[in-house]
Amino acid sequence: MARRVSTLQLSRLTLQIAVAAVALTAGVRLARGWSLAGVEKYCPFGGLETAWSFVTHRSFSCAAGELNLALFLALLGLTLVARKAFCSWVCPVGSVNEWIFRLVRRPGGRLPWEPPPGVDRALRWLRLPVLAVILFFTWQTGELVFRGYDPYYILTSAHGHEVKLWSYAILAAVLALGVVIPMAWCRYLCPLGVTLWPFSALGRLRLRRTESRCTACAACSRACPHGIDVAGGTEVRSGECTLCLECSAACPAAGALELRLEGPKP
Amino acid sequence: MRVSPWVVPVLVVLAAALGIGGARFLAAPSFTRDYAAAGGGRVETVRFVVRGLKCVDTAKQVAGQFEEVPGVLRYVAYASRNEAQVTYDAAITGPRALRAAIEGPVVDEASGQIRFHQFQVVSLDGVVIR
Repeated sequence: MARRVSTLQLSRLTLQIAVAAVALTAGVRLARGWSLAGVEKYCPFGGLETAWSFVTHRSFSCAAGELNLALFLALLGLTLVARKAFCSWVCPVGSVNEWIFRLVRRPGGRLPWEPPPGVDRALRWLRLPVLAVILFFTWQTGELVFRGYDPYYILTSAHGHEVKLWSYAILAAVLALGVVIPMAWCRYLCPLGVTLWPFSALGRLRLRRTESRCTACAACSRACPHGIDVAGGTEVRSGECTLCLECSAACPAAGALELRLEGPKP
Repeated sequence: MRVSPWVVPVLVVLAAALGIGGARFLAAPSFTRDYAAAGGGRVETVRFVVRGLKCVDTAKQVAGQFEEVPGVLRYVAYASRNEAQVTYDAAITGPRALRAAIEGPVVDEASGQIRFHQFQVVSLDGVVIR
């Protein structure tokens, strides 16, 4: 089990690097005039931003298009099965945050600082006003107003349209925050993450802990980048689970943590 | 039911393929403008890929380029694809005149400034020009 998970983690890292590299290349190609299509084209959050315009006027906001919307709908479908797998397997911002998390994690898997559970839960609600403000202004103006603040766009657009000096300050702050609190952007600010959250809570793929095999070492909980207390229950039900499978990779007891496809509960 | 962890990346790739493949079913324009009625000639449509046509605002600017071109009937822009579809009366105008209109100087409505080379036609009906 342990070896198979290691291969899986390597595959995940490879996919993360590949997606980040493709996004960066697309940004540079657009900036140099070698291509007409930039990274925005593949952003599923653009699909949510333009959804209102599509539903009400059958047209798209600003530079968004059908690919954004289709990827967003496909993402919702994916989330209903595989939780927020997009966040840990694909999203370049999630990847960068996770790489920072790996760098700052201390030996033994301890985190630099994990907020108390109550504070952590409260801070996660911050994402809702962030999402509401973005959608309100996008739907009001028809412009993708989030661009200058969006770490994904700032990271990959090669100084794209509407990226200013303060955009880099925001990006630096987001990355610095990730050094202090693991995955801070994803946990407390990401508007796409909070959109997926209720769908993810319904997601059918779940990690199950078999108590008879578990050694209660809590290595799984310490390994979770999102601070989920995996060892605290028999099933990971949290809508924040990204199925990164770091917990099962860290688990020393074979078969204690298993991925299961659950049917709807009565 | 216990499943292999490899089902996760498989689902991720499937979702991406579904999104990319399904996009065409959601195609909708970013901007549309109708011009004067047809003059009775054959009606044709030409598809330009235009460098600089990248959002609704620039799509509107391209629409402005056709205001003074006789024979243009309809303009539909797909900003995410940098695409402009122009329907015209073939007895009055043609792709060459339409391309010249797109690539002509653009008057910025807000500032009144004239901008040159703002739009460049990259391809015409799928044939790459530059």
